[in-house]
Amino acid sequence: MLTYILRRILATIPVMVVVALIVFSLIYLDPSDPAAANAGDQATAEDIARIREAMGLNKSFGVRFGEWTWGILHGDLGRSILTKLPVSGMIAQRIEPTLSLMVLTLVLAIVVAVPMGVIAAWTRGTWIDTAIMSLAVVGFSAPVFVVGYVLIYFFALQWDLLPVQGYTPIARGFWPWLENLILPSLALGFIYIALIARITRASMLEVLSQDYIRTAHAKGVARSDILFLHALKNAAVPIVTVIGIGIALLIGGAVVTESVFAIPGLGRLTLDSILRRDYPVIQGVVLLFSFVYVLVNLVIDVIYTFLDPRIRY
Amino acid sequence: MKLTRRTALKSLGATGLVGLGSFPMPALSQGAAAKTLKFVPQANLANFDPIWGTQYVVRNASALVWDTLYGVDANLMPQRQMVESEEVSGDGLTWTFKLRDGLKWHDGEKVTAKDCVASLARWTKRDSMGLLIGAVQQELTAVDDRTFKWVLSKPFPKMLLALAKNNTPCAFMMPARIAATDPFQQITEYVGSGPMKFAKGEWVPGAKAVFERFADYVPRAEPASWLAGGKRMYFDRIEWIIMPDAATASAALQNGEVDWWEIASTDLAPVLKKNKNIKLDIADPLGNIGSFRFNHLHPPFNNVKARLAVLTALSQEDYMRAVIGDDTNLWKTSASFFTPGTPLYTEAGGEILKGPRNIEAAKKLLAESGYKGEPITCVVAQDQPLLKPMGEVTADLLKKIGMTVDFVATDWGTVGARRAKKEPPGAAGGWHMFHTWHAGADCVTPASYVAIRGNGDKAWFGWPNIPTIETEVAAWFDAKTLDEEKAAIARLNKEAFANAVYAPTGFFQIYQAWRSNLDGVVKGPLPFFWDVKKA
Repeated sequence: MLTYILRRILATIPVMVVVALIVFSLIYLDPSDPAAANAGDQATAEDIARIREAMGLNKSFGVRFGEWTWGILHGDLGRSILTKLPVSGMIAQRIEPTLSLMVLTLVLAIVVAVPMGVIAAWTRGTWIDTAIMSLAVVGFSAPVFVVGYVLIYFFALQWDLLPVQGYTPIARGFWPWLENLILPSLALGFIYIALIARITRASMLEVLSQDYIRTAHAKGVARSDILFLHALKNAAVPIVTVIGIGIALLIGGAVVTESVFAIPGLGRLTLDSILRRDYPVIQGVVLLFSFVYVLVNLVIDVIYTFLDPRIRY
Repeated sequence: MKLTRRTALKSLGATGLVGLGSFPMPALSQGAAAKTLKFVPQANLANFDPIWGTQYVVRNASALVWDTLYGVDANLMPQRQMVESEEVSGDGLTWTFKLRDGLKWHDGEKVTAKDCVASLARWTKRDSMGLLIGAVQQELTAVDDRTFKWVLSKPFPKMLLALAKNNTPCAFMMPARIAATDPFQQITEYVGSGPMKFAKGEWVPGAKAVFERFADYVPRAEPASWLAGGKRMYFDRIEWIIMPDAATASAALQNGEVDWWEIASTDLAPVLKKNKNIKLDIADPLGNIGSFRFNHLHPPFNNVKARLAVLTALSQEDYMRAVIGDDTNLWKTSASFFTPGTPLYTEAGGEILKGPRNIEAAKKLLAESGYKGEPITCVVAQDQPLLKPMGEVTADLLKKIGMTVDFVATDWGTVGARRAKKEPPGAAGGWHMFHTWHAGADCVTPASYVAIRGNGDKAWFGWPNIPTIETEVAAWFDAKTLDEEKAAIARLNKEAFANAVYAPTGFFQIYQAWRSNLDGVVKGPLPFFWDVKKA
């Protein structure tokens, strides 16, 4: 197993190299101009040309890629061409809010969705099943920003229970941290809950039709034990897979959620840097997201072996 | 502290979470809250060099941190700010400026004439008026610690206006070591002598910028008026909270999480008007002039008849209703290239935009221009709420007069790059027209009005080459009385219409909104934080 994990970690290196090359190439091919986008309306064409030169945008593809790669190999993601701040520092400033949002969403989604899926499977064909699956359809259909606005309207404006926007670092207290994240996590988690609940239900239905479940019933095993100890563990592989794939969904959703709730996270940093054509920052965050995704996949693969001992690599 | 459901919940949450180590609960005391202003700016503060980056949001933040030698007041007149006195020689060639005593930089050093000389040297390389002064500059030197001298080869009557103007880039003063930075490179140290210090450590670009009161700032004795007078700060801390989403900003203002929203969305204004805790008013009396630019280099718009054909059919009301809506407090038609309500405003030559629109006359002019149905590359930034509807109205207008439209829907970043291309439209990547708007503050005089210039290759995008416009711009710069200025501007407006330098699509204003416990918010071309208090 250890050899396998090491092999997988080493395999991330060529993946990251390919990602880096693709990200850099796509950005290089972008027809827009950060100098023009940021010089302001009063800037003349000559001003823009001089700013472009000062930003180093007139260098060839090879030189720019070489400098960037060399920097990365030395742990330096470069500097923002707009703020002149180190990209690594800008990312570090934004990691905590995004990580908090994603972890809380993930926990919320799993805690809510898995029991929902199990109950729906157990009560298949009843009104409970229909109600849960209807909720799942709504969850799938409602865009994150719509859910966000509805939550803000009721929980912040009408009932004055939670703040509209912002983020408080956890170092300043658990509740201030949590109260800023409840609505965003609910908004972002809605679609994720729907996805996991549906997969859980489908997977559970398959397992519940197996002979050993019938045997467990015949032996008089308690219903909750059958569901959560016997069936759920055997239904877990597809659920874990979906949770892993859903991380990408969360990253995409975080961009919208952070904008709606004004959370200073990596999603907003990505969006802002794309709109302002801040190339070093775009490259840095995309590389980070790719690395996280590769890492999550690795973790999921390892979890498989614990859930199903028959799986060997 | 007022007990609300949220504070009650917070206390409950804290109590329940003691075991998780949640105490102490951080909260601003009532006094501290009154000393902190939470402000939602118009855009992200993506860089912080008011000479390098000329975006308005950078200028607005800079006005807190850096001071100017002169400041324009609410009557658009230049007034002394850092300067104690000035003297101009009889021939108008030598200006001598003396600084106020006791001015300090945020690092505690004294403000000296050498700092101002270095700052002006940097500014004259980037600002349109600065460039004109630079072209006639013979000497710019410090005479002593508080005095510096500017010797010119030709009189420059608009000197004080140039140093006071609020158009970007403003002549902000910086310490000499910072001002020595190449004007095409950004500064990385943010030390000014303005009423607030920039808390660089708390800057999260795209999310937050923080300013702290500068205890050693000595305001002038006169009452504050825009960028002039005593800039008295009643807040220890001003937090700029960047909110990309208008609905969120509106909700945060309604919930009391922020105090002041610089640009309140027109769509959300009815909701805000109903809220008794919120005040809503015009943000900037100078407003904005919507526009689309023609590319004067390529057919058909290299022919004045094609440009006039478009103006003949253009209905400003259509544009304004599409862009701003039916709230006529916020917009009006204006047959002028200049800002309504300002001393030089004129509608001379603007008849082409008045009266019923004449599609047939436009079609006739277009035929005379030699237009043969080639696609018109109309570039429209879809991510800008003001520009998207403007582009759609233009596309409809062009079709009505018989033009074929190649509607290029893109984002502002791409427009910014594409509009700089002089290549022919179509496959070569050029353009025929793009949409934008001009701050009314820039359109008061030709001083910083790059969009009206007709100096060919050196002109703004579209590169109109109209010598008669340049003659009138020069006449305004040389004017010595208000009457002379008015006459020059009337002739300039007439020439600009006769040549259709660009298409003005109407004058519009935008709301600002603030919590009703905030006092002292004024209308202006930028948010003025001095004299604002929180009850």
